[in-house]
Amino acid sequence: MAEAATLAAERISLAFGGHRVLSDVSLDFRAGQVTGLIGPNGAGKTSLFNCLTGLYRPQEGTIALGDMRLEGLAPARRAREGLARSFQHVALCPDLSVIENVMFGRARLGRSGWASAFLPLPRGRAEAADARATAERILARLGLAAFADDMPASLPPGTQRMVEIARAIVADPRVLLLDEPAAGLNAAETRHLTEALRALAGPDLVMVVVEHDMDLIMEVCDRIHVLNFGRLIASGTPAEIRADPEVVRVYLGDPDD
Amino acid sequence: MPDGMSVAEARPGARARSLGALPRDGLLLVLLAIVPSMLGGFWIYGIGVCMANAVAVLSVSFLLRYGGEVSIGQSFFLALGAYCVAMMEREVGVSVVVSLPVAAVVGVVLGLAFAWPSRALSGIYLAVATMALALAVPELILLLGPVAGGYEGLYVSRAPLVGVSVDLQRYYLPLVALAAVVLLLAHFRRSRQGLALLTARDHPRAAEAFGFSRGYARLAAFAISAGIAAIGGALLAFAASTVSPNSYTLWTAIYLLVGSVVSLGSLGLFGALVGGAFITLVPQVLASWGDWVPILYGLALLVVVVLGDRPAEALTKLRKRLAGGRGG
Ligand SMILES: Nc1ncnc2c1ncn2[C@@H]1O[C@H](COP(=O)(O)OP(=O)(O)OP(=O)(O)O)[C@@H](O)[C@H]1O
Ligand SMILES: [Mg+2]
Repeated sequence: MAEAATLAAERISLAFGGHRVLSDVSLDFRAGQVTGLIGPNGAGKTSLFNCLTGLYRPQEGTIALGDMRLEGLAPARRAREGLARSFQHVALCPDLSVIENVMFGRARLGRSGWASAFLPLPRGRAEAADARATAERILARLGLAAFADDMPASLPPGTQRMVEIARAIVADPRVLLLDEPAAGLNAAETRHLTEALRALAGPDLVMVVVEHDMDLIMEVCDRIHVLNFGRLIASGTPAEIRADPEVVRVYLGDPDD
Repeated sequence: MPDGMSVAEARPGARARSLGALPRDGLLLVLLAIVPSMLGGFWIYGIGVCMANAVAVLSVSFLLRYGGEVSIGQSFFLALGAYCVAMMEREVGVSVVVSLPVAAVVGVVLGLAFAWPSRALSGIYLAVATMALALAVPELILLLGPVAGGYEGLYVSRAPLVGVSVDLQRYYLPLVALAAVVLLLAHFRRSRQGLALLTARDHPRAAEAFGFSRGYARLAAFAISAGIAAIGGALLAFAASTVSPNSYTLWTAIYLLVGSVVSLGSLGLFGALVGGAFITLVPQVLASWGDWVPILYGLALLVVVVLGDRPAEALTKLRKRLAGGRGG
């Protein structure tokens, strides 16, 4: 199994045309911790995820996972290094059942070739059975077993998000980036998600959660980074962040309000 | 660890369908298998050609379904397969059972060769690029010179089996090949590559984030589609017993596209046969309609535009609506 490594972004700057989205952002995400990434709408949280996974190419800065430099690598290549994510806007394939969407999360690990894609050869069959079993296990772990054969569109948005998490963890990632996993979940579901996220955390996993639900963030995270207008304005433990006057001013708001 | 979240309380229906089409397809196959014992030579010939055309339609539907792209250039790969069979018979003296696999491989290779430079194009732009392929076909065939038989084309007379009626072979080979292609595609749907192509079609970024680049998806979809088209062309050459440049014009490509739309982009046996019948019959009917031809050109292009950016989705919706919302 891959050893624990820190995911570090150094001096990331990203702009679209003249519109600066990230300005000189340096932060790291450590293995064994759950790191929260919070900030107001448009602060650049999703953009930072996109830089980390390679969908956006920042004009400046470096990204490294342990000793491995990532900024020059294509997104597909970074996936092979163990980066996995969920999307803020659910990106499941509507033509695939829930379990097939989850199995796709492991597709790149397959070693069977094109012959197995068209013919029921033993190796491909064994691999497919294995992928299905793993996907079933992950779905059960997230409480989604009953939806395995449903189509995503027939499920409520919150459940679709959970399926995205299942797809992201099914290949044992080293880095798990979750973009607003609790959006659309009701209180009970958020409760379960909180527990599930804590259970997912492990000594080798870098886990990052972007979320507007502060109760979840404060409960799940070991550390929190705060972005505002594309700049990192604070980093620290939940207690430190809650006490940070600037964070309170721009994002958390005055508790007396 | 919590043993599970109970989001499972309310479970709206709409389960993924399982092997629904199999019994119907089995029945269809049996019917097709006994056709020659019940109908005359004209029908045997016609249905043989129709089944070869069905494979050609599948190549367009495959690209629609798995690549999310429209091709008006499939006649190029069809001609490639057909001329592979005719020219290998003439030059090397082998029958279609040898030349068909060669045609498939050449189709895949040229499919890749076309997909690579056009990998950044999509939608109507890609459709127009494929159209250029189709426009070039007759000229390219003539450029090959006498080996390709010029304007008159070539005959395909060698049959795989000796001692069995050639007319029956011209019928049963397309039947077996069509059934095989449908089965191979059904298996592909469940493969990891199939899952990857479908995800890449709808969410290229999600596919990239899970290890499959856009380039991979495009090349794979195009190469497989081109391979199927070449197989269709090989079958067509054998079933119709002749190849000539004017069987592979831009019109052929347009019919294939319209045939795929008429079959609602189906990758099943029944849908493919509907598409195959359409492109076998309609050109005959239209031959007597000279004045309408430009209007039909327009209609065909309209089809492309109406299918829009997400042709696969548009056809799936249509299929679902026709099946009464049960999927299909
Ligand atoms: N591809 C893009 N092209 C142009 N501008 C973009 C692009 N992606 C993001 N932006 C801009 O970058 C800024 C940050 O967006 P981003 O989605 O990263 O914010 P966020 O912190 O995730 O916000 P939210 O909490 O609403 O999801 C926004 O102003 C957005 O308009
Ligand atoms: Mg966002």
